[in-house]
Amino acid sequence: MPETEHAPEDTIPFFPDHVRTEFFVVLGVLAIVVIIAIAGLIKPVGIGEPADPLNTPLHVKPEWYFLSLYQILKKIPPMVLGIEGKVIGVVIPIILVAMVFLWPFLDRKPDKSRRVYWIRLAVSIIAVITIIALTIWGEVS
Amino acid sequence: MRYFSLKRLGLLFMLVISIGLLVFITTHARAFSPGSGNPPRSISPNWDLAKAGALAPALVVTPPPAAQEPCLSCHILGQNKGLWTPLARWVLFGGLGLFFVFGVYRSANTWVTRSPWKPFTARVAGWVDSRYNLSEPLTKILKKPVPKYALHWWYCLGGITAFLFVVQGITGILLAFYYKPTPEAAYSSIQYIETQVYLGSAIRAIHHWCANGMIVMCVAHMLRVFIMGAYKAPRELNWLSGVLLLILTLVFGFTGYLLPWDQRAFWATTVGSEIAGAIPSIGNLALVFLRVGWNVTGETLSRFYGLHVIVVPLATVALMGGHFLMIRRQGIAKPL
Repeated sequence: MPETEHAPEDTIPFFPDHVRTEFFVVLGVLAIVVIIAIAGLIKPVGIGEPADPLNTPLHVKPEWYFLSLYQILKKIPPMVLGIEGKVIGVVIPIILVAMVFLWPFLDRKPDKSRRVYWIRLAVSIIAVITIIALTIWGEVS
Repeated sequence: MRYFSLKRLGLLFMLVISIGLLVFITTHARAFSPGSGNPPRSISPNWDLAKAGALAPALVVTPPPAAQEPCLSCHILGQNKGLWTPLARWVLFGGLGLFFVFGVYRSANTWVTRSPWKPFTARVAGWVDSRYNLSEPLTKILKKPVPKYALHWWYCLGGITAFLFVVQGITGILLAFYYKPTPEAAYSSIQYIETQVYLGSAIRAIHHWCANGMIVMCVAHMLRVFIMGAYKAPRELNWLSGVLLLILTLVFGFTGYLLPWDQRAFWATTVGSEIAGAIPSIGNLALVFLRVGWNVTGETLSRFYGLHVIVVPLATVALMGGHFLMIRRQGIAKPL
C-alpha cells in the first residue's frame, strides 16, 4: 500500500486533530436534528387513514426512493421485443445494481489523468438527473 | 489585588457555606428529628392508647402506608412531577459530600506521603496498563496520521451517514418502547406516540426525517467515492460492503414504512412487494417471503418489524464494522 504513506507535514494525528473536526461535524448534524425535533413538536409527522385491505386508494405509490423504479415499471409497454415489459422493467434495474455492486472488478485500470474524474462526474450527474426526473414524474402522475 | 487571593476566597467561601448550613439545619430542625409527633396518615385502632402510653410498644399496630393512586401512564404523559427530585437531591448533596471527603483524603495523603498528588485517572490508567499493556497499541491507534486532504467537506458524507445511523438506533429504541407490531394496535400506538407520549412526536419526527436523510447521505457518499475513483484497487471490498450497506439502508426504509399501518404504508408495501414479485422465476418466492403469504397481513407486519429492529440493524453494524476497519487498514484513498 504505497499510496497511503504520506509525508509527515501532509498529515494530522487522528486524535485529537481529526477527531475534533469530526466532532464539530457531529455537532452540526446534531443541531439539525434538534431543529427537526422542534419542528416535529410544532407539526408532527402525522398518520393517514388506518390500513384497509378492501379499499384501494386512487394513487398508490411506494416510498420516494423506489418511485423511479416503480415509474419505469408502470410506463414500460406490456410487450417489448417479444418479452414481457414488466420482466424487463425489473431485470434491467437488477442488472444495473449488480453492475454497480461489481464495478471495482469491471473498472480495474488505475486512474491516469484528471479527465476520468470529469467522465465519471458526468455519468453520475446524468444518472442522478434521470432518477430525479423519474421520481418527480412518478410523484406528480 | 492581593486582598482577593485564592486562599482568602476559599476561606470566605467556607465561612459562607458554614453559616448557610447552620441556618438551614436550625430552620429545618423538625424535618431532621425523628418522631416529631406527626400522627400516621391512616387511623390505627389503638393509636390513641399507644400515644397515651397505655400500651406496650410491641402492641402498637404500625399503620399501613396510604394506598397510592395507581396511575401507570402518568409518567408517560409527563404528569408525575417531582419524580426526579429525590435523585437530583441525592446526586447534588452526595456529590458535594464525596467532593468534601475527597478533599480531606487528598490533603491527608499529600501531608503523609510528602509527594504531589497523583490524579485518579492516572492511577486507574496505570493500573489497567500494568496488567494489559494497552497504552502502546492505543497510542498507535489514536496517533495514526490522517492525510490533510481528508478534511475537505466531501469526505465527511460517510461519517454523517454513520452518525445518522446512531441517531436512528437511539430514536428507534425509544419508539420501540411504545410501538406495538400488531394490525390491531400498530395504528393506535403511533397515534399514542404522536399525541400522548412526552416528546413522542419529536422523537418520531427525528426518526422519520433522519431516515430520509440517511438514504440521501448514503447515496451522496457513494457518488463521491465513485467520482473520485476511490473504489479502485486495493479498496474493492470497501465498495462491495458499501453497496451492501446502501441496500440494507433501503431495506430499513422499506420495512419501516409499513410499521405505522396506515393506508399509505399498506399500499406502498403492496406495490413494493409486487415489484419484487415481478422478478423472473424467483418472483413468487420473493413475494411470499416478503408478505408471508399472498397478501399483506398482520404476519407481514410482524416480519417487517422483526427485520427492521433485529436482523437489518445487526447486519448493518457488522458490515459497518468491516467497512471502518478496512478504511483504517488501507487509509483514505489519495485523490489524483
